[in-house]
Amino acid sequence: MTAIPDTARPARRIPLRGLNFAIAIFVVLYAGIAVLQPNYLEAALFMNFLRRAAPLAILACGQLYVILSGGFDLSMGAVVTLVVLAASMLIGGDPEMSWPVIGALYAMGLAVGLANGAIVAFLKVPSIIATLGTMLLVNGLALAWSGGAPRGDLPDNFRNLGRLVLRDVPLVGTLPVAVIILAVATLLMGWGLHRTAYGRRLLAVGDNPRAAELAGVPVKPTRISAFVVSALAAVTAGILIGGFSGVSVNAGRGLELQAIAACVIGGAQLLGGRGSVVGALFGALSLFALFTLLNLLGLPQALRDSLQGVILIAAVGASVLRHRRST
Amino acid sequence: MTAVLEMRGIGKAFGAVKALDAVDFDCRAGEIHVICGENGAGKSTLMKVLGGSYRPDTGEVLLEGAPVRFHHPREARAAGISIVHQELSLLPFRTVAENIFTGMEPTRWGLLDRQRMDERARALLRRLGSAIPTRALVADLSIAEQQLVEIAKAMLVDAKVLVMDEPTAALDDRDARSLLDLVVRMKAEGVAVIYISHRMPEVMAIADRITVLKDGRQIWTRDRVDVTVNAIVTAMVGRELQDFYPARAATGPGSPVLEIRGGRNALLRDIDFVARAGEIVGIAGLEDSRKSALAQALFGDTPFSAGEVRIAGRPASIRSPREAAAAGIGYLPGDRKREGIAPRQSVRDNVLLTLQAMAPAFASPNGGARSRPKVDQSLRDMDVRAGDFGQEIATLSGGNQQKAIIARWLMQNPRVFVFVEPTRGIDVAAKAAIYQTMRALADAGRAIVMVSSDLPEIIGVSDRIVVMHQGRIAGELPAGAEEGAVMRLALGVADAPSVREMAS
Repeated sequence: MTAIPDTARPARRIPLRGLNFAIAIFVVLYAGIAVLQPNYLEAALFMNFLRRAAPLAILACGQLYVILSGGFDLSMGAVVTLVVLAASMLIGGDPEMSWPVIGALYAMGLAVGLANGAIVAFLKVPSIIATLGTMLLVNGLALAWSGGAPRGDLPDNFRNLGRLVLRDVPLVGTLPVAVIILAVATLLMGWGLHRTAYGRRLLAVGDNPRAAELAGVPVKPTRISAFVVSALAAVTAGILIGGFSGVSVNAGRGLELQAIAACVIGGAQLLGGRGSVVGALFGALSLFALFTLLNLLGLPQALRDSLQGVILIAAVGASVLRHRRST
Repeated sequence: MTAVLEMRGIGKAFGAVKALDAVDFDCRAGEIHVICGENGAGKSTLMKVLGGSYRPDTGEVLLEGAPVRFHHPREARAAGISIVHQELSLLPFRTVAENIFTGMEPTRWGLLDRQRMDERARALLRRLGSAIPTRALVADLSIAEQQLVEIAKAMLVDAKVLVMDEPTAALDDRDARSLLDLVVRMKAEGVAVIYISHRMPEVMAIADRITVLKDGRQIWTRDRVDVTVNAIVTAMVGRELQDFYPARAATGPGSPVLEIRGGRNALLRDIDFVARAGEIVGIAGLEDSRKSALAQALFGDTPFSAGEVRIAGRPASIRSPREAAAAGIGYLPGDRKREGIAPRQSVRDNVLLTLQAMAPAFASPNGGARSRPKVDQSLRDMDVRAGDFGQEIATLSGGNQQKAIIARWLMQNPRVFVFVEPTRGIDVAAKAAIYQTMRALADAGRAIVMVSSDLPEIIGVSDRIVVMHQGRIAGELPAGAEEGAVMRLALGVADAPSVREMAS
């Protein structure tokens, strides 16, 4: 890996800087894990690590779209909860229903994303408030629908999306289905952000919406689409989480904040204009590696949240300092 | 009569720019002293020095004979200097009385004494000849009534000096007349009134003395009875034209590219406007002329609500910048930083932004068929200087940013190009380059519309000059018109019989 920060020329390729930072953190943290548990260096355990990190990574990439457009999406965790609960209620243990219900889940995600986007773009409500509102709304609806105690079980073909591990795959040995989904999702979102005209519009809107509008960018549709991408990513993550954690009313709690933290660690600038999918991906892996490390060290779960807060502040502070120096 | 206020040898520089240069100014009790001057002549700076917002580099301010130094606007207000700014500073969701007493609310045993506040506010308003209910919300008042509340607020502290900065700019004729009555009444009460205005009829109607500023210098101060409108106009203009303006086209303009008939919206009235292929149309006007509103209407940013728009002879609907871009109109915004660049994106992405905006969403970010070498070539054609076109555009100089935005629109190949204040805040060399570019664009058969507050630039570059006055087109002048003629139209005094007389 040639991840050497190029300090002599501060303003080279914009995403590179954030990317180096997050990859470096991930490597350091994973090395720490490997010191405590050397078998984490085996391909199978690394794959397992990726499998468990996949939902957070997918959430981070979706959240990145909204952050780059200049906002926040706090409703992601609620969407995850909704997906897990709705899946168990709608499928009701019938494997035949799995695929139609997955379609319905994506439709729900689309509706939440459109609602978030429309509130932000047309009513001009700050996204942090708008999505806080939908978060409470979606969470409440999901709980009310399930009566607080979800009935129904998820059939195996649904759970396999999160849980199944393919054996005897050439090169890597084992390959979890969740890692395939992660790869497809990040490639898709990376392509959308870095390889299309749409992605550049999104960056321009987050950077300077007025200039973007005067350059002919359709600002409102662009903003709305970011929330849709975010909500669809949350549905995908929810399906994986339902697969390996099972049904719980707390399935998605706090995930939106973890996703935001992952983006920031990955070098995304809050309030828009700068960031990359690779950065968000490694930001999420770093955060997950940190959680794993804390588990191995035997620290209580509660400290996880505190440490996450420290990391978030440190990452934002570091990015402010870096950019202040370079401009 | 002695002067209540005296300002002696006031100088103020911002960097290398001298905003004020040894200005002497005084105002007596019971006098209306009008200050006239072109955009950027130094009127507002002088009043900011007086109001304590700026500290002068040289000179001194005397109030009733004693030197004063204000470190904060609050000190000036306490000393009896009240300024009514052009932009009102009222709190819209507070009542009239609350606004009048902001910062000096009467209290009783430490609690707000609302009754006394209302009574005093009512008395003050009555003195100004108004019966606005003191418990009404400011947001529910008309602009004229808000103006009145602002004046009442100024009078609360027994103002010795009342400064009014273009107070009638936002008012219609009837409201403006009642405001002028009010100003005359303040004068009768012995207040020293300093009045800044572009409207010549009202200046001639109410002034006792008139001071003309130009480029930060005081041209003269005279009694109104010794002054004609033409003398004021002549004093306001008359800078030397620099010779960096490009030669005009040898051939006449081609067919109309952009036509507006009867265009109007909330800010504009009766706009009939044509831009032809191959010409540069300059749009001139003073600050309150709404010339930038015209530019925004042409580009669909604040579109016309009525009227007919034609592009290349065909009716067109331009309701948004996006539609304007699709119809072949390019736009160079006046405020580069706020409206032009996406600062953290690369120079290349900034140049490609309009292509990216108009391309299908999932097209390549290079906006269709253009390869990177082609993009870089067009940047070099515009002479954009950067170490690397991949660097963030915010690291470039203002002139280079401006050229990059022009390059952005050239990629879209527009038929009409609207430039708003194209050279504001950029150095002389970059200015000359932008004039050359505008001329080259016109010579290539495009129609160029240039909105500018810089009169020499308007006259030096334009093939035709359209002058705006209070949201209307006041008139049109040919290339090379005198500054005085432009200024008379801009001031709305063009009908004065002896227009020729003062050409100097």
